[in-house]
Amino acid sequence: MRRIFQIAGTETECALLHNGSHFVLNRPDGTIPCQLDPAGMPGGYVLRSGGQVHEVRVAVGPEATFVHLNGRTYEIGRVDPAERLAGSDGAAADDRIVAPMPGVVVSVAVKPGETVEEGQALLVIESMKLETSLCAPRDGVVAEVPFAAGDSFGLKANLVLLAPEED
Amino acid sequence: MGISKLLVANRGEIAARVLRTAKARGLVAAVLRHASEQEGPAHLIADEVVMIEGPTPVAAYLDIAQIVEAAKRIGADAVHPGYGFLSENANFVAALEEAGVTFVGPTSDVIDLMGDKVRARAFVEERGFPVAPSAIEDDDPATFVERARAVGYPLLIKPSAGGGGKGMRVVREDSALEAEIETARREGERYFGDGRLFVERYIERPRHIEVQVMGDGQGNVVHFWERECSIQRRFQKIIEETPSPALSPEQRLDICETAAGIARAANYRGAGTVEFIYAQDGGFYFLEMNTRLQVEHPVTEMVTGFDLVAEQLRVAAGEGLSAGQADIPQNGHSIELRICAEDATADFRPAIGDILLLDEPAGEGVRVDSGILGGGKVTTDFDPMLSKLIVHGRDRTEAIARARQAVQNYVILGVTTNTGYLDAILAHPGFASGDVSTGFLAEEAETLTAAGNDMSDLLMAVAALSDERLVAEVMQIPELHRNMGEWRN
Amino acid sequence: MRRIESQIDVNAPDYKANHAAMSERLKEFHERQNAARYERPQRDIDRLARQNKLGVRERLKLLLDPGTPFLEFSTLAACREYEGAVPGAGVVTGIGIVQGREVAIHANDASVKGGAWYPHTVKKIVRLLDVALENHLPVVHICDSAGGFLPLQHGVFPDRYLGGRVFRNQVKLSQANIPQIAIVGGHCTAGGAYVPTLSDYNIIIEGTGAIFLGGPPLVKAATGEEVGVQELGGAVMHTSVSGTGDYRAASEQHAFSLAREIVNQWKRKPKTIIETATFEDPLYDPEELYGIIPKDRKTQFDMREVLARIVDGSRFHEYQPDYGTTLICGFAHIWGYKVGILANNGVLFNDSSLKAAHFMQLCNQNRTPLVFFQNITGYMVGREYEERGIAKDGAKMLMAQGGSVVPKFTVIANASYGAGNYGMCGRAWDARTLFMWPQAEIGVMGAEQAANTMADVKIRQLQREGKKLSEEEIAAIREPVLEKYSRDVEAYTSTSEIWDDGILDPADTRNALGMSISASLNAPIDDPHYGIFRL
Repeated sequence: MRRIFQIAGTETECALLHNGSHFVLNRPDGTIPCQLDPAGMPGGYVLRSGGQVHEVRVAVGPEATFVHLNGRTYEIGRVDPAERLAGSDGAAADDRIVAPMPGVVVSVAVKPGETVEEGQALLVIESMKLETSLCAPRDGVVAEVPFAAGDSFGLKANLVLLAPEED
Repeated sequence: MGISKLLVANRGEIAARVLRTAKARGLVAAVLRHASEQEGPAHLIADEVVMIEGPTPVAAYLDIAQIVEAAKRIGADAVHPGYGFLSENANFVAALEEAGVTFVGPTSDVIDLMGDKVRARAFVEERGFPVAPSAIEDDDPATFVERARAVGYPLLIKPSAGGGGKGMRVVREDSALEAEIETARREGERYFGDGRLFVERYIERPRHIEVQVMGDGQGNVVHFWERECSIQRRFQKIIEETPSPALSPEQRLDICETAAGIARAANYRGAGTVEFIYAQDGGFYFLEMNTRLQVEHPVTEMVTGFDLVAEQLRVAAGEGLSAGQADIPQNGHSIELRICAEDATADFRPAIGDILLLDEPAGEGVRVDSGILGGGKVTTDFDPMLSKLIVHGRDRTEAIARARQAVQNYVILGVTTNTGYLDAILAHPGFASGDVSTGFLAEEAETLTAAGNDMSDLLMAVAALSDERLVAEVMQIPELHRNMGEWRN
Repeated sequence: MRRIESQIDVNAPDYKANHAAMSERLKEFHERQNAARYERPQRDIDRLARQNKLGVRERLKLLLDPGTPFLEFSTLAACREYEGAVPGAGVVTGIGIVQGREVAIHANDASVKGGAWYPHTVKKIVRLLDVALENHLPVVHICDSAGGFLPLQHGVFPDRYLGGRVFRNQVKLSQANIPQIAIVGGHCTAGGAYVPTLSDYNIIIEGTGAIFLGGPPLVKAATGEEVGVQELGGAVMHTSVSGTGDYRAASEQHAFSLAREIVNQWKRKPKTIIETATFEDPLYDPEELYGIIPKDRKTQFDMREVLARIVDGSRFHEYQPDYGTTLICGFAHIWGYKVGILANNGVLFNDSSLKAAHFMQLCNQNRTPLVFFQNITGYMVGREYEERGIAKDGAKMLMAQGGSVVPKFTVIANASYGAGNYGMCGRAWDARTLFMWPQAEIGVMGAEQAANTMADVKIRQLQREGKKLSEEEIAAIREPVLEKYSRDVEAYTSTSEIWDDGILDPADTRNALGMSISASLNAPIDDPHYGIFRL
């Protein structure tokens, strides 16, 4: 299974495999067998790899693993490549706020021509006894606000239109 | 006048260290604590923990009224201020005095005197002790720039109210003088609330040598020999040792007696340190006097065999010094390493994190004054120094070897520390030869922060095999397929 | 369990000649397989790059667990069709490991005619889904297809086991509680749209994936509406408006990482338990098979020598060793799994048929999967045998074999002619997987025999008309028949037509069987029950 390790500013993608009798670390340069067994003291292990035996102390944090080896301390950042990709779900920026259901406009906070920031509250609607505040999906300039406080609207009605972004 | 209950108005390693001596002397001891602090060794040693509040944790430790009120409330008859915080604050001393609580330290007038760089310098110069050529703004603000020029280049601009290395600027060329004065003034105002300056000749490749003194306030002063503190990064000490490898026995006596003389002249009470700039030609000049116990006092304790906090408490209790000058030896060699949560490869940027694993070294000639416990958290609320590692050896070579082994065995995992950097300094031939100045760390910066051997294969193996989720993912592949490996028909 | 003691002398001239011949064959086989898997015209590779798509092999690399095996089926499907222009029939199928789970893979190869469905493509996909159904294997679909190849639509669409069967199988998989996930990395048009919609989960890759019952040109032709690919069926629309798409992936890497995450939370069901032992490699080197398999099809060889290079530790417990000696029956372990092996050492007689039937009943009783090693030219013929009821005995063997409830696996190791193919679990008899060796042949009878028979018919017909034929004229009739027939019975023909699940390098047989047996245990084994044995 793949992980990205960050050591002293360098990232390396590896995969950990087990061949039935021992673990093998698959790095870009090739594979190395390795084994980690607990040793007596807290956080203490014996690492066997590449024909060598090392005593190490290890502490595993949520995003990095800390190792004391041969009198020096190291920090290894761990990244699951999947997690890195999960963040990259670019949301489609929209030019419109569309009514999620029919309802009534309670209040409008912006006017055409006004510059707004992503996340800024643009208007409040009420439907099924629930008030919802609708926010700007991106930074931009308000182009049109077709409804005013007190107006009713239907499903998918355009409640706010932003000026299209210049590419 | 005896002390039966002591409040330690400090935290971290120094609080623990002071408490240890207090308890050993049979005192009831209390310590302060802010809600943001995790449990530390001091809280475990103290008989009582007093919670303090403030808009920031540091502000709490600087809140004179709150602390004095706390001392009274818990019935403490004395307060030990540690170092930093209120340890050199004359108002604090006065407030305690008014509350009838003994301050373990000097009198407020001496604190005031030595706290003002300009006054301190004048005091020392008047009495014939050596000072570096200088110009003090206050003497005549109108002529300050001219007089500064007359000091000669290179010169150092310092804020009068400053300390701890902050706000100092080196000027090598006349063309830069006026601009640097302006900048220094602004910084003085910002850091210390006081824009007054003075200018001193800047000694090239100086060594920082200081002398530990102790007075009983009755005119008796002894020195506990010198300490060398030239290993500094950004004007802050990180390795200190005693004896100084630079001094001949005659020079040693000269500098220590000078320091004692200065303390005597001020009728000094309590522990103090006189700091000197030592020039390559053997000349030395008064730099400043710190009217408190210093961070690096343990090295002095290791070679003299005296407990300086015990001496402080004796003096505060009116029992006087426990020894005369002749009874204070210098045996062997001691080195202290300041273990700090910082990244030496990123310009010593302070580091934060959880202390996932802590294993402090121990053994013959090894002492650790620690402010942290395993499982604790390191934040930016307080100073990045976590603990001090102090070693003692029969000579400097043995002390260095012991220090290297101890710092290599110092296991702190979860937050970046300077242990590797400290070991690199100890291993450097320049340090081993003793031929250093306060610029040593800056000069050798590249060598000292150079990456060691590439251990990345081993490290990645450890990181992979200790990642339980990863291992579980791999082991969930059926044994048959694991054994077959990456076979294709 | 005793080890088979090999009598083979690796220095004997016969061995060496066989080894050389097989090595030659394998060289050609591996070259053809590699070409079918990896060689593509540069313009097709460029086109994929322009479309911002990864090739199917790169996609599989992202999907499958690193360091795990992949048993690929029918790499050489369609190798004798379409002038060889549709390698692998434009689709990759097989069994692989994803997040520790055995899954069946169905992945369009868009570098082959845009991933279009040719008749052989459909057959290969239906076969893969049949494997999934029979073995209860979850399925991962990687969809990227230009749709049905219209000029051959009659071979793609109308019949029972053609295009519609793909979707019918998907429904049956779902009905049987077997999960499916589809990663849409290209177009899923018309019928193809049902692959992701019939899957439990689907992921659409933004920019390249699209699902629609009719693409933009068809829509324009049908109603005049002008609409682009993305609005009509792109990732954003389907994942936020129609709800047809479950996940929108920003990139190929993201899609496969999501797919792995989804597979990782499928409940793992307990596998059927059969007898196992710790696995061990055969004592003898599997590559010795190259010297054991005769270079001439007619030469006999001892199947025990073959088994010794395939089963764990070369250990074999033979059943009824002295009776029905032309059929070897016995127990062994393959990758630890205990199996019952039937292997031909000659034609089938009454006694070998009876022995086989009894042995297979033992295996069914004991939940022991069956592995058939075929080298059969047929059942014995002749008066004595007919009087002894060879047809009845053959029927009993078929009843036992066809009525078996345990998983069956077949390796056509040499000849597979006539009814012998049936008795020994040929394609029609539901082997969970069936593989051919490169030199193997399959047909109703051997080429020579067929050529002789057919030529004979023609010759006698001409003779009745009064014509007498010279040697050359006889040869002129025989030769073309022989040539065509020889080609028709070749392993490459079988694999091209997907009458098997692939040609195997004999040394790969053990691993292929190991993976197949392991996969089969995802399905339960029924209690034994048979039809009527004509006694």
